[in-house]
Amino acid sequence: MNAFILLGVPLLPLLLAAALSLRPGRAPLRLVPWAALPALLLAALGPEGKQASLPWLLTGVELGLDPIGRVFLALTAGLWLAAGVHALHERGEDPARRRFFVFFLLSMAGNLGLVLAQDAASFYLFFSLMSLSAWGLVVHKRTAEAWMAARLYLVLSVLGEVALFAGLMLAIHQAGGETTLAAIAAARPEGGAMVLLVLGLGIKAGMLGLHFWLPLAHPAAPIPASAVLSGAMIKAGLLGWMRLLPLDAAGHAVLGEVLVGLGLAAAFLGALAGLLQARPKTILAYSSISQMGLMTTGVGLALLLPAMREPLLFAVALYALHHGLAKGALFLAVDIAGRLPHSPAHRYVVLGLIVLPGLSLAGLPFTSGALAKDLLKAPLTTDSTGPVYTLLTLAAIGTTLLVLRFLWRLRRDLAPAAAPVPTGRWLPWALIAAMSLVLPAMAALTALAAPGVPLPGLADLSLLWPILAGLVLGALGGVMLREWMAHRLPEGDVAVLANTLIHATQGLYARVSPLREIRLHPRLRARLRRAQRVARHDLEWAERHMTRWGRLAVLFGLSLLGLYAAMALMP
Amino acid sequence: MNADGGLLLIAILASSLVPGLLIFFLPEERHGLRTLLNLSAAGIKLVLVGVLLLGVQRGETFEFGLTLLPGVDFVLAADALSLLFATLSSILWFVTTLYAIGYLEGSPRRSRFFGFFSLCVSATVGIALSGNLITFVIFYEILTLATWPLVVHRGTPEALRAGRLYLAYTVTSGLVLLAAVIALNLLAGSQPFASGGYLLHLPDELHGLLQIIGLALIAGFAVKAALIPLHSWLPQAMVAPAPVSALLHAVAVVKAGAFGIVRTLNDVFGLELAADLRLTDVLLVLAALTIVYGSIQALRAQDIKQRLAFSTVSQVSYIALGVAMAGPLGVIGGLVHLVHQGLTKITLFFCAGNFAETLGIHEIREMRGVGRRMPLTMAAFTVGGLGMIGLPPLAGFISKWYLGLGALEGEAAWILGILAMSSLLNAAYFLPPIIAGWMAEPEVTRPPAHKTRFESHWMLLFPTLFVAVLALLPGLLAGLELSPLGWVELIVERGYVLVPGGDMDNGTGVSP
Repeated sequence: MNAFILLGVPLLPLLLAAALSLRPGRAPLRLVPWAALPALLLAALGPEGKQASLPWLLTGVELGLDPIGRVFLALTAGLWLAAGVHALHERGEDPARRRFFVFFLLSMAGNLGLVLAQDAASFYLFFSLMSLSAWGLVVHKRTAEAWMAARLYLVLSVLGEVALFAGLMLAIHQAGGETTLAAIAAARPEGGAMVLLVLGLGIKAGMLGLHFWLPLAHPAAPIPASAVLSGAMIKAGLLGWMRLLPLDAAGHAVLGEVLVGLGLAAAFLGALAGLLQARPKTILAYSSISQMGLMTTGVGLALLLPAMREPLLFAVALYALHHGLAKGALFLAVDIAGRLPHSPAHRYVVLGLIVLPGLSLAGLPFTSGALAKDLLKAPLTTDSTGPVYTLLTLAAIGTTLLVLRFLWRLRRDLAPAAAPVPTGRWLPWALIAAMSLVLPAMAALTALAAPGVPLPGLADLSLLWPILAGLVLGALGGVMLREWMAHRLPEGDVAVLANTLIHATQGLYARVSPLREIRLHPRLRARLRRAQRVARHDLEWAERHMTRWGRLAVLFGLSLLGLYAAMALMP
Repeated sequence: MNADGGLLLIAILASSLVPGLLIFFLPEERHGLRTLLNLSAAGIKLVLVGVLLLGVQRGETFEFGLTLLPGVDFVLAADALSLLFATLSSILWFVTTLYAIGYLEGSPRRSRFFGFFSLCVSATVGIALSGNLITFVIFYEILTLATWPLVVHRGTPEALRAGRLYLAYTVTSGLVLLAAVIALNLLAGSQPFASGGYLLHLPDELHGLLQIIGLALIAGFAVKAALIPLHSWLPQAMVAPAPVSALLHAVAVVKAGAFGIVRTLNDVFGLELAADLRLTDVLLVLAALTIVYGSIQALRAQDIKQRLAFSTVSQVSYIALGVAMAGPLGVIGGLVHLVHQGLTKITLFFCAGNFAETLGIHEIREMRGVGRRMPLTMAAFTVGGLGMIGLPPLAGFISKWYLGLGALEGEAAWILGILAMSSLLNAAYFLPPIIAGWMAEPEVTRPPAHKTRFESHWMLLFPTLFVAVLALLPGLLAGLELSPLGWVELIVERGYVLVPGGDMDNGTGVSP
């Protein structure tokens, strides 16, 4: 029964995808979002410690629902469900919507499955399924921009897959052949295994240095797909880290320091790069990099402070839930912004719900952001963690500015609805936006109901002042830098930076246009072409050479001679 | 010696030989009778191999012996290793026959084609069931000769050139093999295959000579197994019709070479002695180089079948690589890839034939948007391509998994690097056609589906879909006892392949 339920979670979207591709005309599109419903029910109602072994599947599959998994499953299922319902309307007129929903369902199956996967093979299976199917979402619009973003996404995904595979192999070997994720983590992956796992999963999580595909790919997809990409799928890398890294009583100081360093750097640099962007969806993608940096910091802290790892990991999971829902709501808001209701009262409610998840990201008191940030910072009580505490607080200034920048750019898209907006288009968005208030309320109620649990600090001063500082800075910046802000940093900063460097080394001042694609300098491109042609010619030459009969005969004769000579010399 | 068992082996050989001979004498226009003969023969063979499979699983022995000359014995025997190859060949032969009937419909000289086709399969099963090296080489040579008319079937200048090259390579390698086998016979006598080898009792002074003989055997088998630098006949032979390519790449020829290497290392030398003589090291390096080289050449190739051919060069070396690792997990990975590569590659070749026959597509760039016109074939192509990359849950993933763990078990982490590089290269040459096929806008307007209600002739489509499912299931259900993986684990567990230090505890947690 357990096996049936746990396997059914990823299987249902898969079956629906198959039905959709085999019976194009008949399969009911309306069912697509509800394929995530069983997963949501499982996350809400499933009993603790539910698990199942399926030895006949692959190399032996273990599925299970653990406390961390439950949080991620709730986020994943909820967001896919909401985005799915929204997509039914948003993609309603799209002639290629069937293809969109096939990829949508396949990615959904992968994303749901990897939360339940408890062994390496099935984790890798669902991870690859999600990664590769999401390519179809990124490329869906098939504009030049989408193709470019999708190509970069695919290359990075395949590199990530291979790194993850090699990392898993090494880790399984170090674990003495055990393939469950728990056993692998318990055997503490070291050296190459650890590096490959961090990098392979880091690509998905938008880790600093490997993040540059993200601001291109996430906005290239249709709005509901951007929401799940940035809200749910990006968390797969984080979950992988939480499952596979040596997060035990011994911790891992070096890795912890690296992750904290990278995470904090991403939190600030992501916000900085996002501030220079113009398109609302790109700003949100950079905000995801910044926010994932905070979660990466959390994982790093858990490795540095093994004594506090449990509250820290719980905080990271809750942060993931909060960020996923808020970011999903913000992405969907891009669509809602152009469909405001006509009555002023309704319009203020809608505008409020657009702003709410943004402020929640910044950590406004009494929102889910306040809850998540409080939980993340609460374990940092010692002196040595003081700087990290301060930096985490300061990061909220960047987030506030980024949210302001997003709202500022979104302002231009605000427009009343031309036609009545169907309920399915706004209700899912409104629900996940409202989660920014529901989550802290639920936490407070839980704390009130259970006397042992302390009341979360939802209104700390350290939450409020960065927002106020951000608001002031934003107002100042809006006035002073108005002209300058009209320019924007090319999307995909590092990839573009490399490009600029190439230009620079060529001693040229060719203007780097706001790049959508990675353009090489003409001379370099010609040189690459030539190298390619030479390589191709050499390869052909090699093949032709080996088809010459005479050479073979000589080879054969020599080997025969050698054989007989050897036999003659031997007694 | 079991008389019944021996007869069963003979019957299995005859089940394709006799219909093959009969077909030669059929007039060209009797295609109904020819089809009946072909399919019933393939069906009978499938049943007989099934009986043998069950028998071997129960632990019965099957053997047939005959002294050809004093000191030269003709021996047929069935062990679990034989059946791995025999079962694969018989299943794929059935499918390929069906496909070939559809593919060659209306073309001339079909009696000659199907006659040699049957001879080929008879020889292949003979190779699988050979009980000693001499019998093996006899069938190996029959296979060479029976395949040549198929390669040159179209009779075009290119086909004839490819045929000449094929003969040049294979006959030369056959002579090398013969010389090596004679030398071995003089040293150790006519011995049956024995797991762990039968050369251990030879004195140490002979080791230098054994080393040379071993290298000669490997070189001889390397031609058909398409190890560099002896692989070049294979990409040239892609001028042959698609069913022949399937036969060359998946069912018979390339597999026969790989199987020869397995037999040599395991049943003649024994993996332990082979490792002492450093034969495994040579093979390991050769296989690793071939994997990378084949993939790079595949990346260059613009013709679909040529790309697939170079991919075979690369992928078949996984088998040699696994066996040469000489550890339990590596050997499992190598042997199971014998089956997995066959199923995956035959899918791809059927798809390529389907595209060529239905829409006249031969080049990668012509595949743009073909998924709209032929979605099922394109889906099968996708399964094949992703399987070659080694993505779960396809069969190729299981091979890669065990090979990767085997590499680490043998303390050879560089092989994991080779596997990773190979995955990347495979992705680089299989993903673009898959993407172009599904997502790109076609450059030409294609003619709509004609006559039939399917996207192509049903005899081309159904076998393609069937093998695509076969390329998926062994990976998805690898944990079952009768999956290829289960069977290979049985082979290693029962000692049909003796692995040095072969306790299975350091496995993957899957108890065999």
